[in-house]
Amino acid sequence: MRQSSLFSSYCRISLLGALLTFLAVPGLHAQDQSDNPKPVPVVIGGAGFITTFQGGQPQLGPLIAPVLLVPIGDKWLIESRVTFEANLTQEPGSSAFHGQVLKSIDYAQVDYIANPYMTFTVGRFLTPFGIFNERLYPIWIRNLQTDPLILPIGIGPSQASTGAMVRGGIKATSKININYTAYFSALSTYMPSNVTALDSDRLAGIRAGIFIPDQRLEIGGSFEHLLQDERSNSFGFHGGWQPQALPLELRGEYMRSARGSGYWIEPAYRLNQVPFWQYAMRRTQLVARMQQYWVGAIPSNVLPSVNTREFEFGVNYYFRDGLRAVSSYGRQFSDAGNMNIWTIGLTYRFAFPLGHGDEN
Amino acid sequence: MKIKRNVLACLSVMILAGVLCAAGQEQTKVVDTSVSSTSTDTAAGSTISSSKSVHEAAAARYEGEKRYHANCGRCHMAPHKFPSRMMVTIERHMRVRATLTDEDMKYIVRFMTE
Repeated sequence: MRQSSLFSSYCRISLLGALLTFLAVPGLHAQDQSDNPKPVPVVIGGAGFITTFQGGQPQLGPLIAPVLLVPIGDKWLIESRVTFEANLTQEPGSSAFHGQVLKSIDYAQVDYIANPYMTFTVGRFLTPFGIFNERLYPIWIRNLQTDPLILPIGIGPSQASTGAMVRGGIKATSKININYTAYFSALSTYMPSNVTALDSDRLAGIRAGIFIPDQRLEIGGSFEHLLQDERSNSFGFHGGWQPQALPLELRGEYMRSARGSGYWIEPAYRLNQVPFWQYAMRRTQLVARMQQYWVGAIPSNVLPSVNTREFEFGVNYYFRDGLRAVSSYGRQFSDAGNMNIWTIGLTYRFAFPLGHGDEN
Repeated sequence: MKIKRNVLACLSVMILAGVLCAAGQEQTKVVDTSVSSTSTDTAAGSTISSSKSVHEAAAARYEGEKRYHANCGRCHMAPHKFPSRMMVTIERHMRVRATLTDEDMKYIVRFMTE
C-alpha cells in the first residue's frame, strides 16, 4: 500500500518535471538579452550565539546557517541551506556545558523561473504553510529568538517537504499584488545517522495572499491536506503590516489542525522617532509577542501537550547592517506549570560572492 | 477512476500553465519596454528626449527604491546594497522565497545595481 502511494507520488513529481521541461523549451528562445549584470554564486546566511534560560535551566546555542545560491543561466537557481547548531546544557553536578553539534539540510532545491508568473521548484523545500517557517525563521530575520508555539503545525516532521512546488507573484491591479504557492510532498523516512533528519510527510497544500504595496499590508491563507495517517486538513491565516508613517511592524498567524491550533501576534517598533539619544534610539527595536495554543484531538510529539499561553517582550539593538544584539523575556502559562523564558545573544547576517561580485 | 481524475487534474494544470505562460511572455515585453525605455530614449539623441530620459531614469530610481523598501521590509530590515552580480543572484533567490512579482524584481534589481 505504502509502495503504491510512493509510486503514485513519484509519478506526479515526474509529471511535474515533464511539465517543467515543456515550459522550458519556449523559455529558452524567449530569454531576453538584457543588460543586467551576470549573476555569480553567492553564500549568504546567518550566524549567532543565543543563550536561553528556560525554567531556570541555562542553554547555550551557537548556530551557523549558510545558504548557497548557484544561478544557472537566466532562469535557473540551485539553493540550499545547511544548519550547524548545538544545544549545550549543564549536566547534573557539573558546571560545564555539554552537547553535540546537530547538522541539518534545511532545504536543497532547484528553481526554474518559467515566466513572470510561475516558478517551479523541485527537491527538498521549506514547507510554505503560513509565513514563519519559510520567511521569518532565519536567526538574523526573526525579532524574537524563540519559535512560535504553533510553528510545527502543517510544516512536516523536519520543517521541510520533499517533492515539487509551483509559486509566483502576479500584479493583479496597479495597487494589489497576488502571490500563490501550491506544493506536493512525498513521504520520506530517510534519516541518515550524521544529519538530524531528512524525513517528510506525504501532503499537498496551497498558500495564497495579497500584498498592497502602498499600504505595506499583506494578508493570506494556507490550506493543507495530509495524505497519510489520519488524512486530516490544516488551515491557517497570516498577516503583516508595516505602516509608512511609523517604524512599526505588525505580523501574526492563526493555524488550526487536528493536532492543535493557536495564534501569535508580534508587533515590533523601532525607536526612530524618540527625540533624545537619537544615535542609540534609532538602532533600538522593541518587540512583543502574544501567543496561545490549544491542544487538538490527535496527540503530537512536537507541539505542547497542554493548552499554553505565552507573552514575550524583547529589545534588539542594531550595531550595523546585519549585526545586532537580541534579548527577551517571556512568561509561559500552562497546566504543566508556569515558567520564565529569557534569551540573550548576538546575531549576524553574512553574504559573500564565490567569484567577482562586481562586473569589472 | 483515480487515474482518470489524475489525468484530468494534470490536463487542467497544463492548460493553466499554458495560459499563464502566454500571458507571461506578453507581460515580459511590456515591463521590459517600460524599464528599459531610458536607454532607448537616449539613443534618439535629441535634447528633449534626453531630458525626458533623465526624468524617466529618476522616476524609475524612485520607483525602485519604493518597491525595495516595501518588499524587503515585509520580512526583514532592508539591507544595504551588495555588488551588482551578487545582487542579481540574491534578488533571484528572494523572488522565489518572497514570491515577488517580475515587475517588482526588475525595478529593485535596477535600483540596487545602479
